Amino acid sequence: MPARPVVKRLPARRGLFAGFKGNVDAITIGLKYLVDPKRITLIYPNEYIKLDPGYRGFIVLEPKKCINCSSCARICPAAAMRMIRRMEEDPKTGKKKMKLWPVINYQRCIFCGYCVDVCPTEALYTVPYHDIVYENMAEMDWGLETFVKPPEYPTAKEGIPVKYIVDEEKGLVKVRAEEGEEE
Amino acid sequence: MSVWVYGEQKSELGLEGTITRKIEEDLYEVFIGPQHPGSGHMRIIIRIDGDIIVEADPDMGYVHRTMEKLAEGREWIKNVPLFERMAIQDACNVTVSYIIALERILDIEPPPRAKYLRTLLCEINRIAAHLYGFGIFGVFIGHSTMYMWSFADREVMVELAERLTGARLTHSYPIPGGARKDIPQDFPQAARKAVRYFRRRLEEYRKIFLDNPVTRKRLEGVGIIPKKIAAELGVVGPVARASGIKYDARLAEPYDAYDEVEFEVPVFEEGDALARAWVKFEEIKQSLRIIEQAVDWLERHPREAPIHDRFWAKSPPLWKKVFEAEGRVKLLPLMANMKLPPGRAMARSETARGEIIYYVESDGKSTPYRVRIVSPSARNAIVFKYIAPGYKVMDLPTIYGSIDYFPPEADR
Amino acid sequence: MAGIIDLILSIIFYPPIYQLVLVGLTGSLVVVIFIIWFERKATARVQRRLGPYHIAPRLAGLPQLVADLIRYAFQEVIIPRTADRELFVLAPIVATVLSILPIAVVPLTSNPAYWPIPMDYSILVALALTTVSPIFLIVAGWASNNKFSIIGGVREAFVITAYEMIAIMSILSASAAVLTFNLVEIVEAQRIWYILLNPIAFLAAFLSVLMATSGFPFEIPESENEVVAGPFTEYSGLLYGLNMGAAYMKRFAFSILMVLVFLGGWSPYTPGEGILSGYLIPSLIVVAKAAILMMIFSLTRSIYGRFRLDQALEGAWRLVFPMAVLGFGLALLEAYLGVM
Repeated sequence: MPARPVVKRLPARRGLFAGFKGNVDAITIGLKYLVDPKRITLIYPNEYIKLDPGYRGFIVLEPKKCINCSSCARICPAAAMRMIRRMEEDPKTGKKKMKLWPVINYQRCIFCGYCVDVCPTEALYTVPYHDIVYENMAEMDWGLETFVKPPEYPTAKEGIPVKYIVDEEKGLVKVRAEEGEEE
Repeated sequence: MSVWVYGEQKSELGLEGTITRKIEEDLYEVFIGPQHPGSGHMRIIIRIDGDIIVEADPDMGYVHRTMEKLAEGREWIKNVPLFERMAIQDACNVTVSYIIALERILDIEPPPRAKYLRTLLCEINRIAAHLYGFGIFGVFIGHSTMYMWSFADREVMVELAERLTGARLTHSYPIPGGARKDIPQDFPQAARKAVRYFRRRLEEYRKIFLDNPVTRKRLEGVGIIPKKIAAELGVVGPVARASGIKYDARLAEPYDAYDEVEFEVPVFEEGDALARAWVKFEEIKQSLRIIEQAVDWLERHPREAPIHDRFWAKSPPLWKKVFEAEGRVKLLPLMANMKLPPGRAMARSETARGEIIYYVESDGKSTPYRVRIVSPSARNAIVFKYIAPGYKVMDLPTIYGSIDYFPPEADR
Repeated sequence: MAGIIDLILSIIFYPPIYQLVLVGLTGSLVVVIFIIWFERKATARVQRRLGPYHIAPRLAGLPQLVADLIRYAFQEVIIPRTADRELFVLAPIVATVLSILPIAVVPLTSNPAYWPIPMDYSILVALALTTVSPIFLIVAGWASNNKFSIIGGVREAFVITAYEMIAIMSILSASAAVLTFNLVEIVEAQRIWYILLNPIAFLAAFLSVLMATSGFPFEIPESENEVVAGPFTEYSGLLYGLNMGAAYMKRFAFSILMVLVFLGGWSPYTPGEGILSGYLIPSLIVVAKAAILMMIFSLTRSIYGRFRLDQALEGAWRLVFPMAVLGFGLALLEAYLGVM
């Protein structure tokens, strides 16, 4: 069943009252929405969208799982992820050893999520938010200490979490998201 | 009936227009753009005689980013996020043909589930991009309600795309051999609701915008591209289909699941701005049909990883566990510097604005030897030069909006 | 010294002046602020948005326009080097003042003590004064010396040719029906509001006012996507605010005229003696009716796009002008039959 082209005609606009009807229709629709606006505006700092867990937001490292393989740094299309060297003591032998750790630069990150998908041990995970403001560019270049814990999400402290639900009547309906479904 | 275009009569091109006399001096030259509320990221230099455009010169290149050259320095898969930046509202459509070209070089065929998933996202993107186009068109001819409505309703499609891929706009969804994520459990229900919502909503769009006498008067008979001229100028997409050319990449060379789903390609014969608006309007309806069919198919068939066995068969158990839990297809680390066999391939897909063509050449390295992109807006920009002369200054936004020209895509 | 104070007082209490200051300037400023807020809110409702909100969520963003006004007032006024300096500064000021000038000559009460001028030919004087201000928009466009400004100014000139005749014809149809040029007599003659007796003339007047004040299907001189801001492209700060406000003030003046002619003026109330009953209450009724009329004007923004210039002119001359003539004919017929 492949596609087929169908030649259509523009709807004809003839008759004395065609223009009249068009005007009446347009004004009726306008007035309908004037009476019942069906708004979908998000009043942002007071409300914020609580995104699904699958959302590709900020990326965080779980250092226990990391096997220092640098796959994430190799696949990063924006060169945001890079590996740094660190002298570390091996807990078993007590010897000092050079190890590679990923760090991320959020000046460059495009949130494509390739690094999360490519990580062979699921050591990287995404948190479902990305609206965080930094005071300067240097702060956005995360070191290893910042990278290992989820970033603070200041909007969540002030605003009400909401969710948009696809609705047949209004398109999107804003409902209050339940608290405490954090993972 | 003749109009002078660069000293040539417009009638020599077989076009009819308003009469104007040939004037070589005393033309009023107006630079519209790139810093102008009605130009987008490009400059159109028009010369006007009274209120009639005598010459129009689209001056492209303001947002040129050397994408083809940048692509040569990046590994294969890393080009996907780059090419998405051509048309971010249309991300899947503009990248899927690049991925298809890669698959042709690799000589692999994605599994049917991946094909349907890509088709689903392509159509979601197509609706979003058409609504974006409608919004810009609306504000160009002063209809701010159309602008706000279509941007608000585009949010429904963006929301669906977000649930499907995890990102609102730049999804980076297709990968060689498949797609990156399966649909979540509650997706089919939400998609069906959205489809029903849009069916009802399009009626309201028709009433307030397309059948609004003011809009209709403004669009009818403006920027007429006759069929022959459309073929000669090489325009694509809705612009060509509004002129009666039955051409669509999904029709000419069905990719992904387009040979299995049932849909129509609306064609109008008038060739004016109104016909172009109607083509887009009818295409949204057809895209809704495709979304319904794709969602039905995906629901009927068992969930299995939407990726070619070559990237899945040998993957560790964690891969399967993650897919079971989150529907996320993990990539093999070899994907980062995957080497493609030497070869060349060409692929095309139908984006919202027309056909995009990728020519990809590999010399066996992990980066492309050459990626050539022919984007639809670049092909449609010629309309400004040959069609705009003869119309009034106030018709320029109408022509601009109706061909849905998108500078970042044309300049790449 | 006392003589000077007397002189100043006599100037202030010279009826046309205080009507211009009280109703014209103060009243129109309040009404225009309210109307712009209403227009933004109503458009936002139709467009599924909130409109002005954050400045005062409890008042639904009503002070937004005051804030805008303060911003305009403190913004730097940039005068381009290529502009014609004196005209560039003068044009918007003169245009704004002239656009509310018709208010100085219309009666807001039937009590002769508070008439600004003798009322015998007042409808003619008021209509004549409405035609003065557009020329200064063209001057503003010309003085800016910018291509977009000049195109905008020329468009303004075209639109004037379209609406002026219609406005005058349709509003004068009332005086044809009542056989007088006296606005007070026209108002008093309306036992039934004239809009019901002659809806055709009202519709023509409505459309002509939309054209005169860049209302939405006819928002051609300032259309943003072709000519940036039309004649006001080079303006900034307070001068730009004046330019934008002038259109609304003009709409207010026209609305007052239309209320008097079509909507019964101070109709349910019969003005009595004294300043309260004789002037304040009837004038408030007129201003309130004008505000309601302006609210209806502002709804067109959310429903229509804009016409092309030639289409607007064509529509005006081919459709609205015959309508105005028909309305005038109907008025003559009514006068012959003695309906009013």
